[in-house]
Amino acid sequence: MSSKRHSILPSASQSGPKPPVHLSSSLTIADSAVLTGTHQITVHGESVIHPRARLDSHAGRVTIGRRCVVHERATIGSSSSGLASARSSAVLSSARSSMASPGVLSPTAAVAGSGGEAASQSTTAQAVTLGDYVTVEVGAVIEAGGTVVGDGTVVGVGARVGAGAVLGKRDLRHENHCTLTPQSAVPPGDVVPDFTVVYANGMRRTDRRGMVELKNKGLARQIEVLRRLIPSNPAKFA
Amino acid sequence: MATAFTPYSYIQCPCSDITPTDRRSGGSPTTPEPDDDDRAFDPRAPRSSFSLYPLEYLMYCEDCHQIRCPRCVAEEIVTYYCPNCLFECPVCVGPLAVTSVETKPDPNLLAAPDNSAAPLAGPYALTCSYCLWTSTEVGIQFDKPNGIHAQLAKLRNGGTTRLTAKERKERRKDPSYKAQPPPPDSQDLDHEAQFANLKAFYQGQLADPNTADAGLALLGDLGFSSPTSLSRIMSIYTGGSLLHDKKAKTRLGAMREALDPDEGLLVASLDESAAISKLRSEGLDGTASTAQLVGQPPNMVEPPLHGNERFLDTLRPVPHLLRTKRSKRCPVCRHIISKPESKVQTTRFRIRLVAGSYIPSISIRQLALSSGTGSGTSASGPAVPGAPLEPLKPAHFLLTFKNPIFETIKVTLGAPATTPGRFASRVTVLCPEFEVDANTDVWDEALKNNAERDRELRRRRGESVSANSGGISSANQLEVGKIWERGRNWVSIVVEVVPASLALAPGNPPLREDEDVLEIPMFVRVEWEAEMAGDEVGAAPSRSNSEAREKRELAYWCVLGVGRIRQR
Repeated sequence: MSSKRHSILPSASQSGPKPPVHLSSSLTIADSAVLTGTHQITVHGESVIHPRARLDSHAGRVTIGRRCVVHERATIGSSSSGLASARSSAVLSSARSSMASPGVLSPTAAVAGSGGEAASQSTTAQAVTLGDYVTVEVGAVIEAGGTVVGDGTVVGVGARVGAGAVLGKRDLRHENHCTLTPQSAVPPGDVVPDFTVVYANGMRRTDRRGMVELKNKGLARQIEVLRRLIPSNPAKFA
Repeated sequence: MATAFTPYSYIQCPCSDITPTDRRSGGSPTTPEPDDDDRAFDPRAPRSSFSLYPLEYLMYCEDCHQIRCPRCVAEEIVTYYCPNCLFECPVCVGPLAVTSVETKPDPNLLAAPDNSAAPLAGPYALTCSYCLWTSTEVGIQFDKPNGIHAQLAKLRNGGTTRLTAKERKERRKDPSYKAQPPPPDSQDLDHEAQFANLKAFYQGQLADPNTADAGLALLGDLGFSSPTSLSRIMSIYTGGSLLHDKKAKTRLGAMREALDPDEGLLVASLDESAAISKLRSEGLDGTASTAQLVGQPPNMVEPPLHGNERFLDTLRPVPHLLRTKRSKRCPVCRHIISKPESKVQTTRFRIRLVAGSYIPSISIRQLALSSGTGSGTSASGPAVPGAPLEPLKPAHFLLTFKNPIFETIKVTLGAPATTPGRFASRVTVLCPEFEVDANTDVWDEALKNNAERDRELRRRRGESVSANSGGISSANQLEVGKIWERGRNWVSIVVEVVPASLALAPGNPPLREDEDVLEIPMFVRVEWEAEMAGDEVGAAPSRSNSEAREKRELAYWCVLGVGRIRQR
């Protein structure tokens, strides 16, 4: 819950370091979106970044999959608060320690393991990865720290995903489709199974609607509309 | 305890008075009975919590001139209404919406008007937009998007339809159905069907006196299962005299009990292995909570025995309960004191006599005195509002009485010198008697000519013109019998409190919850002169007078919660 209202601020928050970006040609990114940080920010095809959405790669790499929608004032990769960074470093250290013991891989370690070389390991361990068809609604916060948001997940208005949390199975080629209802939270480091609905102060249930296809189609259509509504300016960030 | 304490004032409704003191007739100002004086109200008594209300909760009867609380008014239902003519989610309590289960035929059509024009293809399901529960989870789908209630009544969990009582009857009559053997499983029977079958069976038994009377006929007249005894029992309960039923008395013979599902027999299924294995596979998360089970409507559709609704996947949509709008009546004179508009959409009230517009409101604020004035001691408590009170150190509180009525009121306060309870704090009301000016129009006040206003102001400042030398600063001194401050329709007075120490002697029971809150019981008497009500005959004394003014009086106990005492 970011009490800071970016909509009041002018684009002064743009003043941070300009991150290296890798933006797909088919994506829609608003002029007033905020991309800061030092690590790579990658956004794949047909995704939509709303005005004043914030992608922060100070802690690590930010990767957004295809056909994702990041709404206004949503923050992806926040680690600015001291608490969050302390948490994520704890997760990092636990990831490293578990790396040392083969066999037991913590989710963060698994993501880090795919990074390969040791230099990029810290950036990957602090990364945020969004799968395909992910919707991050208004004011939601996804903390950095090896956080993985699986395919088809909806992060509701004002929801918070803690550092190192994993929504859905780690395998991103899998349909995950978790749903976080508005103002709900996933604690740091938590692993949420596929098709989980997090609601009402941490209650969880399984979504048995079987409406994955319908949902994806709906999202695709929403993106079609948004592309016409939001003037895209990827050149600004390149 | 860490949170700051907000001072409060609660008023005791006179309905909870054990000794009924008749102060209803506002005829003559009677002083409270002597026994009233020594019977101080104890806010900590167990009964008290049922009679104390914030001012906002109280009503006022204009005819009885008395406070009425939610407990003592009589309620009448003005109208029933449905807050939302659909269902609630059984998992969370969000509203359900009817959605189409199937995908729309052509998802490539992007233009919105085209989509809305295209009819939504069935089947439909109820879905919760919050927790994403859907009725397909219990296997319920609907053919039509409307008339959900009727459709749901015919659907069992899993989607199999069931027969309504009427259909069953028709089917029984149908020769083609008679020909085939009836289904043997008793699980087919639901609540309604079982009752209908049993009823039909017993009625048949009663009508036919010759049925199978061989077996138990040996018991003779005492035949417990005979139609006679049944009708005898029925006549006891219905009050009809037994002698009337001569014909029935002659009818003897035993009644048979139901033998198969068609007659209403339902064998209890005591085999719970399925439930146990399900619990094993789904765990505790798969079971329904008590609140969810309680929220379920009586399921007339499922077989009734042995709690079928124990798992989350058997919960059915809950229909919204109807809401009501109610009017309130005075219990004594039956006058209506609150009546909402009967139209559902409007939130206005036709009649609403709330106590807040008849009796003065009391607000409490802690007073931080800069230097020791008036009452001798220098310490007057912390300046931070809501902070705990220091024991044994005098603290001062400002009570502001605001007059809501259009007459000047005379307020008399009475408080016991020490608060009741285990920890007796000393209480001194510095100015127990004062007048509060009428709640006049703000503009009247502003437009008064200067001289008048000046006099008024002077009167307010210090009650006497001579004491007016030093302005506000001299007026704002703690002086016994002096008003602290005065405004258009309000008066502030000071109450000095010496909180008790919460130190417990060894062996005493520990501090109970909220026992550290310093609560002051205070008796408030309000007197004012009002115009005579036209049809009131009760007040004879002043009736001969041409301008008929009568004295009114209202007296009640209230409780002032001023703060918590610091614990050592």
